[in-house]
Amino acid sequence: MTTATDRVPSKPKIEVQFDRPHRQHEPRDTLAVRYRIEGCDGERICAIEHSVLWYTEGKGEEDLGVHFFQRVTDRAMMPPATTAGAFSTPLPQSPLSYEGVIVKVRWCVRVRLFFDGSRDFVSEHVFNLGHIPPARMPSARA
Amino acid sequence: MRLPRFYAKKRGHRRTVSREWGVVGDGLFHGALLVAGMCFGGLLVSGVAAPEWRINHEFRETTGTILAKGLAKTTVADPPATVITNWRPCLLVRYSANGVMHESWSHSTTATNTSDREVALRRLSDWALGTEVVCWYDPASPTMVVLQRGYNWWLWLLSFLLPGALVLIGGTGLVRVIRAWGKSEEHRAASAGISELLDPLAQPALAAPGYPAVPICDDLVNSPGTVLRYRLPIESPESWTLVGFGLFALLWNAVVVVLAVGAGLDLLGGRIDWWLFALLVPFLGVGIGGITLFIRSLVFATAVGPTQLEISDHPLLPGGRYDVLLAQGGTGTFQTLTLSLELEEQATFRQGTDTRTEQLVVWRQQVACVHDVSAATDSRFEARAVVDVPNIAMHSFTSAHNAVRWRLVVRGTPERWPEFCRTFPVVVFPVGVDLPESTSRSLVVHRRTPSQEVTQ
Repeated sequence: MTTATDRVPSKPKIEVQFDRPHRQHEPRDTLAVRYRIEGCDGERICAIEHSVLWYTEGKGEEDLGVHFFQRVTDRAMMPPATTAGAFSTPLPQSPLSYEGVIVKVRWCVRVRLFFDGSRDFVSEHVFNLGHIPPARMPSARA
Repeated sequence: MRLPRFYAKKRGHRRTVSREWGVVGDGLFHGALLVAGMCFGGLLVSGVAAPEWRINHEFRETTGTILAKGLAKTTVADPPATVITNWRPCLLVRYSANGVMHESWSHSTTATNTSDREVALRRLSDWALGTEVVCWYDPASPTMVVLQRGYNWWLWLLSFLLPGALVLIGGTGLVRVIRAWGKSEEHRAASAGISELLDPLAQPALAAPGYPAVPICDDLVNSPGTVLRYRLPIESPESWTLVGFGLFALLWNAVVVVLAVGAGLDLLGGRIDWWLFALLVPFLGVGIGGITLFIRSLVFATAVGPTQLEISDHPLLPGGRYDVLLAQGGTGTFQTLTLSLELEEQATFRQGTDTRTEQLVVWRQQVACVHDVSAATDSRFEARAVVDVPNIAMHSFTSAHNAVRWRLVVRGTPERWPEFCRTFPVVVFPVGVDLPESTSRSLVVHRRTPSQEVTQ
């Protein structure tokens, strides 16, 4: 089990647990995630969104592909009734995580809390899909 | 909601910092376009389209007698200092409407307006005084009569095209803003459906079924090879350069011809416009330069001869081995001819108001290299090689602004011409299972020409 914690200046804190060590997943694996929400005292949460997605980083504009999305609006499944949640999804065959020079592909789990009013808080937890080594510039001789 | 800022900028995107303000601004902009389109369309429909439609559908037919005729003159101010005069034939008609006799000047559509008085007079002469003619009157206002019916299709097209474009742009933008309101970026991205229609340019290329973000390779496998299974399509930057030079030479010299004709007419008329001649000389120089560049590129492209690449299978898989046939046509000798497998990253980004694309080769492996190749007119040079795709290779990837592309690249050094580079895109799919470690590569050379030295 691995644990990731995100902190922001405001109260919420979301602790996410992946079911695979080192957050390393294979294509077509089932990704199972459990999370715990802390520090929302006094603020009502009206919805929670779970998503598993890939996005690009690097020199180009950011592209995003959502593989799994779930919006929870049942008050019984969110704080203060319950502070924990879980979701799972089979992972696709592509795109694999890639650490290129000007293009990078990252997979992540996002848990987004929507508070009463217009405020929201997102917690992002990156994981790897596949085993592609980082790209290196070819040598001049090649 | 914080107050908006209008000067914050990152990579060309002007930002208000506050997402809410950005959405409000976007909504207002598209709402204004929608309203403008609707108002403009309403004016054109009520002022042009509806009256014409009523004449053709609601006016009643009767017969009348032409009593008098004349030209109606309309002057319209055309700032800053001119006026436009339009002429329109008018006929005084006596006719019966609902059993009551009326005499009134015929109404005509805007299509009969002309700025040429002679044309209007010729049109008027088609009508003879005292003749009986078919006419149509408005049942709601019997004093309104027309002698001709029909549609002015240009005005109808204008009535729908311009406001339609504004309504379409404003409406789709507004729907996009409304659909995105209050939604997270994941929610928006996950909402399939009309988002592709609302913003088609932002959509990535088609993905292979079951492999998100991996491009389809249908266009790469629709051409059978002569020896191996597929002939790969070429993606030659030189061809685009040639097209670019050709277009430039054509357009620039068209301008030069227009200027030269003007200068020649002046000369024939006994006038010399020195400014025009002074402008013509550098334009002519650039035009001749453009033609020279185009011809040089054309000669180079045709002199080197076509390069063809065939492959035993496609799409490629990490760890896979594939036979490749390299064929080079044309005449002459090549000092070297190399075949490489390359992985290129491509990123598209905005810089100011420009959209730029950067490409970078991040992996390259030489597959074959031949020296002193002699191609003949009656037979092309052929060399066979084996391409090994690395076990842990990144698959081909494409999204709206980013891509990872695989390609086979042929580089040649002709003896009498500059180096050339020809690219053959391939698609590498991801695999879910480990393939055996690739072993040594083999290389076979077919010698249809005198013996070639092959290195790898």
